[in-house]
Amino acid sequence: MSRPATPLVERTLAFFAQLRDAGLPVPPARSVDALRAIAAVDSLREADYRLALRVNLVSSPDQERLFEQVFDEHFHGAADTRRRPRGLRGESMQGNLGHHEKALDQQVTAEPEQFTAQDIGRALDLADRWDPDAPPLDTIVRELARRLATRPSRRMRTDRRGPRIDLRRSIRHNTRHGLEFVDLMRSARRTRRTRLVMLCDVSGSMDTFNPFLLRLMLGLQQLMKNSRTLVFSTHVTDITPALRTRSVADTLREVATLVSHWSGGTDIGGALARLNRGIVREGSARSTVVIVISDGYDNGDAAVIDREMSQLRRHVRKIVWVNPMYGATTFKVRAAGMRAAMPYLDHFLPAFDAKSLQVLVRGLGQV
Amino acid sequence: MPELTQITDIQARFAAEDYVADRALALTVKLAGDLQKPILLEGEAGVGKTEVAKVLARVLDTPLIRLQCYEGLDANNALYEWNYARQLLHIRMAEHDAQARATLETTIFDDRFLLNRPLLAAIRHPGPRPAVLLIDEVDRADEEFEAFLLEVLSDYQVTVPEIGTFRAAQPPYVLLTSNRTRELNDALKRRCLYLWVDYPSAEKEREIISRRLPALDAQLATAITKTMQTLREIDFYKRPGIAETLDWSRALLGLGVDALTPALLLETAGVILKHRDDVARLRDTDLDRLLAGEAPDPTSSRQVY
Repeated sequence: MSRPATPLVERTLAFFAQLRDAGLPVPPARSVDALRAIAAVDSLREADYRLALRVNLVSSPDQERLFEQVFDEHFHGAADTRRRPRGLRGESMQGNLGHHEKALDQQVTAEPEQFTAQDIGRALDLADRWDPDAPPLDTIVRELARRLATRPSRRMRTDRRGPRIDLRRSIRHNTRHGLEFVDLMRSARRTRRTRLVMLCDVSGSMDTFNPFLLRLMLGLQQLMKNSRTLVFSTHVTDITPALRTRSVADTLREVATLVSHWSGGTDIGGALARLNRGIVREGSARSTVVIVISDGYDNGDAAVIDREMSQLRRHVRKIVWVNPMYGATTFKVRAAGMRAAMPYLDHFLPAFDAKSLQVLVRGLGQV
Repeated sequence: MPELTQITDIQARFAAEDYVADRALALTVKLAGDLQKPILLEGEAGVGKTEVAKVLARVLDTPLIRLQCYEGLDANNALYEWNYARQLLHIRMAEHDAQARATLETTIFDDRFLLNRPLLAAIRHPGPRPAVLLIDEVDRADEEFEAFLLEVLSDYQVTVPEIGTFRAAQPPYVLLTSNRTRELNDALKRRCLYLWVDYPSAEKEREIISRRLPALDAQLATAITKTMQTLREIDFYKRPGIAETLDWSRALLGLGVDALTPALLLETAGVILKHRDDVARLRDTDLDRLLAGEAPDPTSSRQVY
């Protein structure tokens, strides 16, 4: 090492501290194993010392890159600044996110001032477009929610009336009867609850399509209690609490006051980033189905969408994208944001007209 | 584990089995023995993750015990299962024998009715050398299984309620592989030594080809390496791995060709590219330039629909 006077362990611990500062978690169990590892290798060989630490401390290719960079900085003092943005991707993302949250905070505190006449006009407009008596839709939504809410697991649980005989339990259970098969134990498939996360674009380009989709969200949210509904344009707002109210009119009014950024620009990447770092992390990610409702027209960077979609892809069970433009005869995937997202989708569904709505409902039923 | 302790020795012994192990891999194998930690290998499909376990088993001359993961994989299929048919037969036979009947409760859960599944088999492996346990594509299993795996891997012991606890005389070498289709549990990742397996460098790929297919013409092998390296710069849905390189080399060897041509590349594209869109994309590429080692413009956007 560059300074032989410093004991190796102390030097290594200082390096751990720098790794933590750079955003790589080094929990005690890992650092103990890493120290055991350097004792096992020839620590005077830098390559081995470096590898022994690395295989113990990282667990993803991103972290590998970060490790390499911090190692070079710490032991060679050569801060290669050009590589930094790549290695610290996570951090720069957080900065970006912080900006969003701050913007959101300001928006909440400054709500009365920010609420322009135009906003109110739009909110009222939205309520107007709401058709209070369209009975078939309600039935459809209810049926959809029922199908989406659960799915059979491949695991079994004990069930007295289950279709399968659980031989292992039966034998164990009947040892008390001298292995005379008095009671047969049965099992059935477990059901897994699906958590639905809906992310709905309410930006200007989506204006005309809001009523139906909002109604769909409302219906699904009320029937599937563990679901979450978020709307986004340049900001993201979680409207789940507002959707819990019973009456349609009340709900709309509440949603309208809560969201002051209807019909603004669009930041799909930012919304996905918020999802990835928030709700998706809150557990049962593998039972989560994400439904994005957007036309994919975006003011942000398509590369961010690509990165966030690939992240989301690895965490949740299914990603469904409902595109209100899809279904029109002239439709082609033109929007850069949409193109970036396409490779990561499980289902791509239309919502353009009455006919495509049928396709949408059938498609959602298959998720 | 007295055996694999010298890095150069590990590399030499892997090389003797025709596997080109870089220093990072050799060191990780050494540490896996020293620290008794599992190795988690992540990387794209076809970069030789599974092969590491197979070669390690051959190097140690020990059985390779493989557990292929899938959604819904549970303890019964991973750990052990009772042989019900035999148990029931045993009960039937005991019905006519008073003495057997009296001892039935103790004999029915005897070892001979126990079916060892991969995890238990690895733990009960009698030696003399530790077994190699390959837990393949762990990202396909579900979260419940990961939690269960963590438990087994943390102390290498398994309790069968009807019999008792089995403890590994020699903890097995454990290799987990993942294609990163989803993120693994943090606790499981922390338990493992982590290694990202990348596509091989040109030099390494060339060496792998000549080791595995010594009959292949040296010039052709170099041309194949160059083409594969260039192909990986194209933004395919599934970029070809080392497995595809070897398949392609074998195919070309079988066809008895001595030089690569655009026509030949297109005819044999199915060996390298497994996506219809990727093959279409290759067809649209300037193949003369590609064979000359020049990648097409990476900014040209991917065709969607």
